[in-house]
Amino acid sequence: MKKILLVIFICLFAAAPAFALDGNEMLKKVDRNLNPESYEMYRKLMDIEPDGSKKEFVMYAVKKGKEKMASVFLSPASEKGRSTLRIGENMWLYIPNVGKPIRITSLQSVTGGVFNNSDIMRLDYSAEYNCEKVEATDKGHILHLKAKTNTVAYDRIKMWVYGKSLLPDKTECFASSGMLIKTLYFKKVKDFGGGIVRPAVIETDSPLYKGYKSIMIFAKMKAKDLPDEVFTLNYMPKVESLR
Amino acid sequence: MKFFFRILCLLFFLSISFSGSLMAEDKSSDTLDLDFEIPEVEKKPYSFNAKFEISETIKGFDEDSLLFHQRYPNGRDNETFYQTEFDLKVEGSYQVSIVKLYARLNGDFYYNKEEDWVNDSRTEEAYVSLLPAPSITLDAGKKVLKWGKGYAWNPAAFFSRSKDIEDPDTTLEGYYVVTGDLIKSMDGVLKTIALTPVILPVSRHINDEWGTEREIVWGGKIYFFAFDTDLDIMFLSGEEVEDRFGVDFSKNISVNFEIHGEAAIVLDYVKYITDKQGNLTEKEYDAKSYLLGIRYLTSHDTTYIFEYFKNGQGYTSDEMKDYFTFIEDGYQEYISSQSMAKLSKSREYGSQFYNKQTVMKDYLYLKVSQKEPFDILYFTPSVTCLYNINDKSGSIMPQIIYTPITNLELELRATFLLGKDYTEFGEKLNDYKVYAAVKYYF
Repeated sequence: MKKILLVIFICLFAAAPAFALDGNEMLKKVDRNLNPESYEMYRKLMDIEPDGSKKEFVMYAVKKGKEKMASVFLSPASEKGRSTLRIGENMWLYIPNVGKPIRITSLQSVTGGVFNNSDIMRLDYSAEYNCEKVEATDKGHILHLKAKTNTVAYDRIKMWVYGKSLLPDKTECFASSGMLIKTLYFKKVKDFGGGIVRPAVIETDSPLYKGYKSIMIFAKMKAKDLPDEVFTLNYMPKVESLR
Repeated sequence: MKFFFRILCLLFFLSISFSGSLMAEDKSSDTLDLDFEIPEVEKKPYSFNAKFEISETIKGFDEDSLLFHQRYPNGRDNETFYQTEFDLKVEGSYQVSIVKLYARLNGDFYYNKEEDWVNDSRTEEAYVSLLPAPSITLDAGKKVLKWGKGYAWNPAAFFSRSKDIEDPDTTLEGYYVVTGDLIKSMDGVLKTIALTPVILPVSRHINDEWGTEREIVWGGKIYFFAFDTDLDIMFLSGEEVEDRFGVDFSKNISVNFEIHGEAAIVLDYVKYITDKQGNLTEKEYDAKSYLLGIRYLTSHDTTYIFEYFKNGQGYTSDEMKDYFTFIEDGYQEYISSQSMAKLSKSREYGSQFYNKQTVMKDYLYLKVSQKEPFDILYFTPSVTCLYNINDKSGSIMPQIIYTPITNLELELRATFLLGKDYTEFGEKLNDYKVYAAVKYYF
């Protein structure tokens, strides 16, 4: 009897961390399936109003490692040359007119619309979140993510992941109060070359912006090795020269 | 003709304001063509950008103020001043290998009744950059170097011109410099260290705002990024200019709260002070200035920027009262004897030392802006308050910015000055100012 109890105890004790580890491992795989750890890409951001009218922005972005990302606006003319930098939870915006980088917060939006700075300058999910629970579904899994620190834009994320490809289908982003802030939909899986097969479109809506929709279209994503000095305030006015 | 033009400008402004949503592209999200070809991906060696602005400025004179008496001792025919302005700002760059050329030109063409049509064109920036590696850059030419973390003021911006407190984000004209960046990134607590040396040559032909004797002004800035905090240490030194040292920092306390600060000391700063009789004296001391500020974003997308500025080079209330008394005496003398002697002298002091923005010791600045209230997209109203703690005068500036369609921006701004007699804002030339502008980027 004692042996049986011991086996049950060991199984229960060992199962919990193993399950959590699986979730975190799965999250890391989702990250790598979405993009290489260091890469360059182009993105078109579209903000669509309830009447169907839209605004478009085109950005060039580079990312290195777990916590560094820089981008620059290529169009429209009113935004051209604006660049953003993210190192961990630190974010800066450089506006050519202003002539110096200013700190911005993850909840603001450099473009307006439903995407905030945290969405536009997204790091790996596994860098910011722990997977607390994995739920099996017909198509795959639901990962329940919790922010590692209180400086992350969303306190919790619920991520629907396809079973075979381990690519996200949908994420729901929640504030610490439990309120749903927005939902991201991952669409149109595309082969970018170099082994990168991922959704080329992310669409978002939010109960806070009823009727409004924002879309992000990805293009020319490829792995790129970049020096660390690219991700500094001094380099922000020169990000476009990396293209 | 001019009146007609002003009406036309106003109508254009209003018509675009109200027809923005009609002019916007009508395309349903369901029928969007999610094309993956992005033309901007094609990289060209050159780039070209421009902004064209039409604006109308209306100023209401305060005919009882001392600065009005100083400038218009005989009064004016019109209580109101109108100025129509056409401004074209063009910037372009061309890059071949590691060499990049950049220039920004500003052509301003304005009309007012006093000066008629005036053309004011200038090269704001024009420099060549060498970019051998991301960690090394060398720039030579006319360049703006904006240092400091303050939004409204930058006491540590040693190599740049003063900001316009009514529009701190507007572009400035640079100085001729040789400068560069040496950047080193590291793992660990100290993540980045960057060195920015600056050499600024002075002669009668270039940078003559710094002096007329030939000399080299030099300085630099060291930037550190550690403990999620930006930190800069800067200095400036020269034969004919006062040596100065500064430090600044900024840090995000949380996802919606940022703090920043800036401090500077100008060694052996010489302040020119007039007494009530107009006798000018020099006071030499180490002028210490500092600034503390926050930027806070609420869950309702309201942004607060709040700053306190201690201006070590500023005048005290008593010093300003002496200056105002001198103007008053000069005006009374002119009224009684038609002698301009005192008034002319006060004008000279005014243009050199006193009639400038935020010329006193202690100020508070608050800007509150609300992103897209009442579900009006791309519409940002704001209110800015500037308060002079020393004499309890100030200004209030409501502003609206609206971008109904891509690349088109409409701005309407009013400034109201408030203050008693013998206070900075109470004695300014104007009671109010209204500025309306249509800006187009291409």
